[in-house]
Amino acid sequence: MTQAPIIATGLSRYFGTGDNAIKAVDGVDLEVQQGEIFGFLGPNGAGKSTTVRMLTTLLKPTAGTAFVAGYDVVKDADKVRRSIGVALQDAAIDPLMTGRELLTLQAVLYGLSKVAGKNRGEELLERVGLTAAADRRVGTYSGGMRRRLDLALSLVHEPTVLFLDEPTTGLDPMSRLTLWEEVKRLNAGGTTVLLTTQYLEEADQLADRIAIIDHGRIVRQGAPRELKAMVGSPTLSISVASSETDEARAILARFGDLRPTSEGTLGVGLARGAEDVASVIRALDEAGLKVRHLELDEPSLDDVFAEATGYRLEGADAANKPAETEVVPEAKKSRRGRK
Amino acid sequence: MSIAIADPKMMTSSSSGRSLFRHTFALTRRSVVGRLRQPAVLAPAFIFPLFFAALGSASFNKLAGDPYFTDNIAKSFLNYAVAGAVLQGVLFGSTSAAGDLATDIEQGFFERLLASPISRTAIVLGRLAGSMVVAVVQVVIFLAIFLVAGARVESGPIGYLGLVGGSALLALAMSGLMAGLAIKSGSPEVVQGAFPLVFVLMFLSSAFFPRHYMKGWYRTVADWNPLSHIVEGMQGFMNHDLSASQFAKSWLLPLVIAIISIAFALRALSNRLAAS
Repeated sequence: MTQAPIIATGLSRYFGTGDNAIKAVDGVDLEVQQGEIFGFLGPNGAGKSTTVRMLTTLLKPTAGTAFVAGYDVVKDADKVRRSIGVALQDAAIDPLMTGRELLTLQAVLYGLSKVAGKNRGEELLERVGLTAAADRRVGTYSGGMRRRLDLALSLVHEPTVLFLDEPTTGLDPMSRLTLWEEVKRLNAGGTTVLLTTQYLEEADQLADRIAIIDHGRIVRQGAPRELKAMVGSPTLSISVASSETDEARAILARFGDLRPTSEGTLGVGLARGAEDVASVIRALDEAGLKVRHLELDEPSLDDVFAEATGYRLEGADAANKPAETEVVPEAKKSRRGRK
Repeated sequence: MSIAIADPKMMTSSSSGRSLFRHTFALTRRSVVGRLRQPAVLAPAFIFPLFFAALGSASFNKLAGDPYFTDNIAKSFLNYAVAGAVLQGVLFGSTSAAGDLATDIEQGFFERLLASPISRTAIVLGRLAGSMVVAVVQVVIFLAIFLVAGARVESGPIGYLGLVGGSALLALAMSGLMAGLAIKSGSPEVVQGAFPLVFVLMFLSSAFFPRHYMKGWYRTVADWNPLSHIVEGMQGFMNHDLSASQFAKSWLLPLVIAIISIAFALRALSNRLAAS
């Protein structure tokens, strides 16, 4: 059997020692399968970036093991680096260089020949829509352009495993969608992707499976749909003529527990999930009932997050998140100078 | 499209050696391009040394009337000032290069490099080599300006080579020292903060005024200051016939310092990587 491209067992990273040690990552177990998009979801300081930094060989684990692309991240760090693509939130792109120059540099660093590097650079510039801006200094790029260039840089050597650390943080909705499309396209080509995000929608839209991390520990792991299903079944709300309410209620009860909804509507928790919607409509139609309004509310990932952590991710940074210590990478501490 | 990259399983020591060279060359290029694209940072390394040389020539040219000065030190103060200007320019340049390295660390480009399969040594060597290239360009420009202003290289064609080579080695030595500081601190502010100390060391040498005319503690410090001997080696090329002592002072001494400072920088890098 082929080994999964990312395997972590008991992966931990503590900062400091003794009782004062900050457990940034505390016993993470992960197995990302070939061709998967795996989302690492959590608020700032939850341990996402620290985990990625260990998996990409930038940080040594305090405990536990991790294998990426078949290689041990500690013992075979250089082989791991050759096999993976990395786009880190904190790894700035030199603003004094042009996009084309950076791609050429990256190609050299990954051992491509001059001709292969040039061709690959042109192909990637085209792919991320930066051909026209290729000879402009990166300092003049917008945030979205920088992220697309960052993605292109991480793909120079055609990695089979790609790490994207908060790839869309701070981007406008259009730039975010463009990047999502590119990630999906890469994944369709067979690239395994591990991405960290604090955006629920991003995890929902992109990831085949997600892990929710909080205070350095994975608190839930699975496909978004499965995780939502664990929280509860979706609620189908319908409205019918008032004279048909009793008959409609009896039909809905065949598909799950009746639930309270807003006045004038009937609600049912679909035991088998969204796939029952068609059956419900068919049953109502066969009984001669006319549905005026229909709405299906799935449990959200935020519901899953709230159930797992006791607080909601949306707005967690500002108010809802319980106090914790955030470990700030050195590169993030100061943002002055020529960036 | 399929591209050929080095298979992790197939890496050998010879391919590692080639990689080190390629990576160092690529990062040297980046370092030089980066410096040239920061005119506000580059300009002081050219303007201030020339300004100090002009000021010194105007202020101390009376020394040219002293027979000891003309017989043993230089025919004119302008000729004397060339080496000091070169030294000052190299020190400015080396600090800027180290500042760029610290900025890379602070802003995360350093981490980008570490995430790639690059030789770690190349990260330091590329920056140092870039500093040497800029120093060579700088000394060539300085010499052209001083020659137009009336200076002469008394030791002939090899003297030019001596000055250029000495400047490159001095750039290597000083860049290594400042790069070590940059890697240790990861802060451009710390590197810039250290520059005044280097500047003071330069003023306490014979870069701007001959040791012969110094007295007391000032003379003692200048006697022990390695910069005095390096700059005097360079002054030798400008003002006297070619001699081995000029090379010993302006090539060998910076080379010894360079070996120590590069070891310091690589050690700092090793410690930083071990701490991560």
